Amino acid sequence: MARQQGWFALILALAIAAAAVLSSFPLQLGLDLRGGSQLTLEVQPAGEITTIGAEQMEAVKAVLDRRVNGLGVAESTLQTVGDDQLVLQLPGVTDPTRAADVLGSTALLEFRAQKEGTQEEVQSLRQLRGQLQSILDTRSDDDASELDPVEQDELARRQKELGLDGTATTETEQLEQLLARTNQEILDRFEPTAFTGKQLVSAGRQQQQNGSGWEVTLNFNAEGGEKFAELTQSIAGTGRLLGIALDGELISEASVGPQYKAAGISGGTASISGNFTAEDARDLEVQLRGGSLPLPVEILEVRTIGPTLGAENVRRSLIAALSGLVLVGIFMLLIYRLAGAVAVMALSLYALFNLAVYALIPVTLTLPGIAGFILSIGMAVDANVLIFERIKDELRRGNTLIRSIETGFSQAFSSIVDGHLTTLISCAALFFLGTGLVKGFAATLGIGVLLSLFTALTCTRTLLRFLMSYQGLRRPTNFLPARQLPTTVS
Amino acid sequence: MAFTSPATDERPLRFPLTSRRRQVWLVSAVCLLLSLIGIVLSWTDPQIGLPLRPGLDFTGGTQIQLERSCADICDQLSTVAVESELQQIKLPVQDGKGLPKLDNARVQLLDGGQSIVVRMPALSVGQGQAVIEALETVAGPFEPGGQSVDTIGPSLGGQLLRSSLISLLVAFTGIALYITVRYDPRYAFLALVALAHDIVIVCGVFAWLGLTTGLEVDSLFAVALLTIAGYSVNDTVVVFDRIRERQRMDGDLPLPVQVDRAVSATLTRTIYTSGTTLLPLVALILFGGSTLYWFAIALALGVIVGSWSSIALAPSLLSIWPSRSGAAASA
Repeated sequence: MARQQGWFALILALAIAAAAVLSSFPLQLGLDLRGGSQLTLEVQPAGEITTIGAEQMEAVKAVLDRRVNGLGVAESTLQTVGDDQLVLQLPGVTDPTRAADVLGSTALLEFRAQKEGTQEEVQSLRQLRGQLQSILDTRSDDDASELDPVEQDELARRQKELGLDGTATTETEQLEQLLARTNQEILDRFEPTAFTGKQLVSAGRQQQQNGSGWEVTLNFNAEGGEKFAELTQSIAGTGRLLGIALDGELISEASVGPQYKAAGISGGTASISGNFTAEDARDLEVQLRGGSLPLPVEILEVRTIGPTLGAENVRRSLIAALSGLVLVGIFMLLIYRLAGAVAVMALSLYALFNLAVYALIPVTLTLPGIAGFILSIGMAVDANVLIFERIKDELRRGNTLIRSIETGFSQAFSSIVDGHLTTLISCAALFFLGTGLVKGFAATLGIGVLLSLFTALTCTRTLLRFLMSYQGLRRPTNFLPARQLPTTVS
Repeated sequence: MAFTSPATDERPLRFPLTSRRRQVWLVSAVCLLLSLIGIVLSWTDPQIGLPLRPGLDFTGGTQIQLERSCADICDQLSTVAVESELQQIKLPVQDGKGLPKLDNARVQLLDGGQSIVVRMPALSVGQGQAVIEALETVAGPFEPGGQSVDTIGPSLGGQLLRSSLISLLVAFTGIALYITVRYDPRYAFLALVALAHDIVIVCGVFAWLGLTTGLEVDSLFAVALLTIAGYSVNDTVVVFDRIRERQRMDGDLPLPVQVDRAVSATLTRTIYTSGTTLLPLVALILFGGSTLYWFAIALALGVIVGSWSSIALAPSLLSIWPSRSGAAASA
């Protein structure tokens, strides 16, 4: 009896834990259930490469794969389609702009030294840039607030100075144009590339020490470390800056102190601090770590599968399947009476455990995954049917109730275990060898089979025994109609 | 009240399987034959050329679905009008590639003409837009948010098919080994026969549907087949377990009697289990959306055929196949 109570407590604890898991970890639904985004990318020929071959595709895909992993979207997939296209699926992402930004850019990192004799020019350009940036930062998107006349004059003067004709209509656009132009002007005052991010072995990010923002840290290989030291040595103490450009745009300029005059900055590490937010820093880190794309890619199509078309359909299907399960419960109650009630309880626990495990691992639920779940419910019901049929058999033979229940469980044991184990074998094969859809199916079915073994052999049994400890329930007619009982039973 | 000995308390047989085994085999043989004919016809059909009519998931191509925006009732629209419009479309040229032919485009009207589904060879994004614009003239205006363009490359379907087949083969081998160890090689062989029987018949039905109604199989159908395979083996193993138990109890009786008794004893369970599995599936077929309609039909069919093969076909085959040491089983 004490052992039973132990089991009962365990089941109760598991049920509470499962409910807690479900309330704190949401279930993950796949692209086909909750929508998501799909991006089609095309690799563009560039430079000496005029046609895209399998080799180029492999190289591009390898880089993009690393970036996609860095995005941290569960079950995202990147697949080659045709000769020069890649398709990326991002489940649950309804706004794919960030993914598009991270994937679409080449992420060519360049290190450049400032040209000699441009210190003053760059100084004033950087000042201008700072001003523009702070004006733009304070303006909201469609802010109609005019610049005051002094500022307008200033803007016009600057535009003229930098050769802009003022084609942009709104002030915000004009300011943005000016900012871009200023950046370009600054970049022009740097020498051509000294070396690129190819020499990078890893990238990371950390919060800046003054806590104001994030910086991206770089680790070079031996060759890169040497070049970096050379480059920094050449400008140390001169007031010239070290420019770091990404895809032809300056993202950071740094001064190199005179103490590096002798040997440059050695050690093969550096950091870029460009007023990054945590997210910006992460995206840049992802891009740098993935390496730059050997060829540029163009995003051909961004498709977001909203909840209107397919998902509604699927929702109806789910409701239908659930109502079917309610019917199963009614069926069990009618056929097996008290035992049926136990089965309904055990199967509810089973469903609860299943969902909790899906949330915990996590398993992304797709249509095939739900098919696996339904099949596993079928097997869980089967296990209960097997047990109860055996119990009925024993009762018909005139055995006592308690004895019939014990015999029923022990006799059904081997067929339940065999049936479940054979299914588990195929799940393992499908999971480790299959892809995509098949994997999702095998995962839910496999989890379901394991849990079904547990619930059928412990939950049903414990609950039934628990109920049998009440004298009033201990009547064979609670299990089958009186006319099926042998008359010898007293 | 005495403990009754198991051999004497048998209820009358509810289903004298072994004496009816010829009928059982006839039923299965006819079903298998019809299925194989369907598969072969589909294979030799010049339009299909495969055992089953493959859908977009396997062939690749573009499917455009458009929701028409109409207040209450949409204007009448015939598929012929859409098709003739399609043939006149001048697609923008994609450099280095031949223009996809729209002659074989298949047009479907759903929900009483409210939405149009067009399937074509794979189109580029620009070409897809051109098709939508052209269709707007005959069937527009369209709902702005209700259009979807799916373009699927042919390589994905091939990969899916290959990996599924390989993993299924490994799974079958594993199951066969397990049953051989736990039971007997005969059981393993017959479980796989029953499994093959179920798969072939479900495929056959869908081959016929493909031939007669143009139904295509998608990747969900492949998943349905995997599900059926799992269900079939589980079902068969339970019946075999009962037969083995009988052999222990009634070792001195002839094998056909043992099989009959085991099948009768487990008949209720098989019917209940199939019934409870069918209930959610029937609900899906009747009330679920169109996405899972054929998937649920394939599964329901598989459950029915699977129950038949495990309760009737596999045991009846076993009854004429005595083990080399029949008496040893009673030990």
